[in-house]
Amino acid sequence: MTVAELKHDEKGCAMETAHISSARESRVVIDLVVNGERVIEEIEPNMLLLHFLRDKLKLFGAKESCGEGECGACTVLMNGYAVTSCLVLAIEANGAEILTVEGLSKGNELSILQQEFVFQDALQCGFCTPGMLMSARGLLDKNPDPTDEEIREAMAGNLCRCTGYLQIFDAVKRAAEREREEREE
Amino acid sequence: MLSQFDYVKPLVLDEALAALAKEDDSYVLAGGTDLLIMLRHNLINARHIIDIKGIPELNELCFIENEGLTIGANVVVNALVDSELVKNKYKALHDAASCLASFQLRNRATLVGNICNASPGADLPPALLIYDAVVKIASVDGVREVPLVEFFTGVKKTVLSDEELVISVFLPDPGENDSSCYMRQTRLKGHDLSTVGVACRLDGEGKVSVAIGAVATTPLRLTALEAEINQRGISEETILWASNAINDHIKPISDVRASEAYRRHMASVLLKRCLVTLTGKEV
Repeated sequence: MTVAELKHDEKGCAMETAHISSARESRVVIDLVVNGERVIEEIEPNMLLLHFLRDKLKLFGAKESCGEGECGACTVLMNGYAVTSCLVLAIEANGAEILTVEGLSKGNELSILQQEFVFQDALQCGFCTPGMLMSARGLLDKNPDPTDEEIREAMAGNLCRCTGYLQIFDAVKRAAEREREEREE
Repeated sequence: MLSQFDYVKPLVLDEALAALAKEDDSYVLAGGTDLLIMLRHNLINARHIIDIKGIPELNELCFIENEGLTIGANVVVNALVDSELVKNKYKALHDAASCLASFQLRNRATLVGNICNASPGADLPPALLIYDAVVKIASVDGVREVPLVEFFTGVKKTVLSDEELVISVFLPDPGENDSSCYMRQTRLKGHDLSTVGVACRLDGEGKVSVAIGAVATTPLRLTALEAEINQRGISEETILWASNAINDHIKPISDVRASEAYRRHMASVLLKRCLVTLTGKEV
């Protein structure tokens, strides 16, 4: 059985999504690296990676939308590969390296990819943006010089309901160019 | 959110097989892209999850000349997309892998998981069927091999017992001058199962093989149609004849994705396109 359990911080913001399980037996310890920092946490085996990031680590970048791997809003990089964190158990990430949108910027300085999302007007409401950024990051890390078709294919698993996809495509393409230029310098 | 289960990640195959045999309500986890959705919707009562990703021998993606290609249970779909060998030797499989779900899902989803889920509309089975794929199945009692054409028994049903685990799929070496393709019709690119998916192969001796998904309770290898195509010999007339005759060999239904009539029409169109592509004939 699961119990709805909604905690609030001092400002009244909902801090935990309402699906914390009640049973406490069979807890396991996972040891992984999230955004460059080692994390050791006790969890239940049925916890999703998405909920682990949001509820345990308070990293709210990855969003829960469809919960079925269709929309891409929960995309993070797992050992360098873009995955939908709603379809990964937290325990499967034991020993893995996870990168979320919070790990893209250096302090307050946005990464080139993030900057291009701003410059190209690639977001409106912003809900899909963390997932978009992580899919794009996964692509550019593996393939710094993607073709237009490769960009479209890598981003096809991320849905946006407001911007349209042209600006997002432009942002990824321009970011790839700028990152290549920066490497050559 | 998900109901309670315990989780084990064995590092050797025997341990996984023993765990599967020991407890009822045990489920195998590889990519998890189907399993986690079933868990989320409480469609299955999983008490024990056995994660097989720690078993090294299941990671095998290996081609041996004159023998064939072995695809282990942990091989993800994007590994097939990235493989030049798959692209050159098993083009239809490369085509089908490239259009399966989305990029993120292909980073997790496995080929073996795709066949074990046994969705009638899955993309990979038709591409495997034309290559006479053989499924290698293990349990505590030993290993058996089942041709893929006998593996599916119904919608989401296979010959697997609760204690069995598919360890790999084997595709014989198609040899020289072999070509194939997979084409599908779908409601939207990147997210949907196929409305109809057709795989065709023209082997080195000029023989045609045809398999099709989403037009019956299981993916189908159309051997009777193949025999007649091969008897007639490939020509423009044969292609036109076959694209009509395919409708005698399929039993599509109407559902959310398409009507029966549309499926029949697209089966015909896709077969024609595949054969035109492979033979270079103009119809």
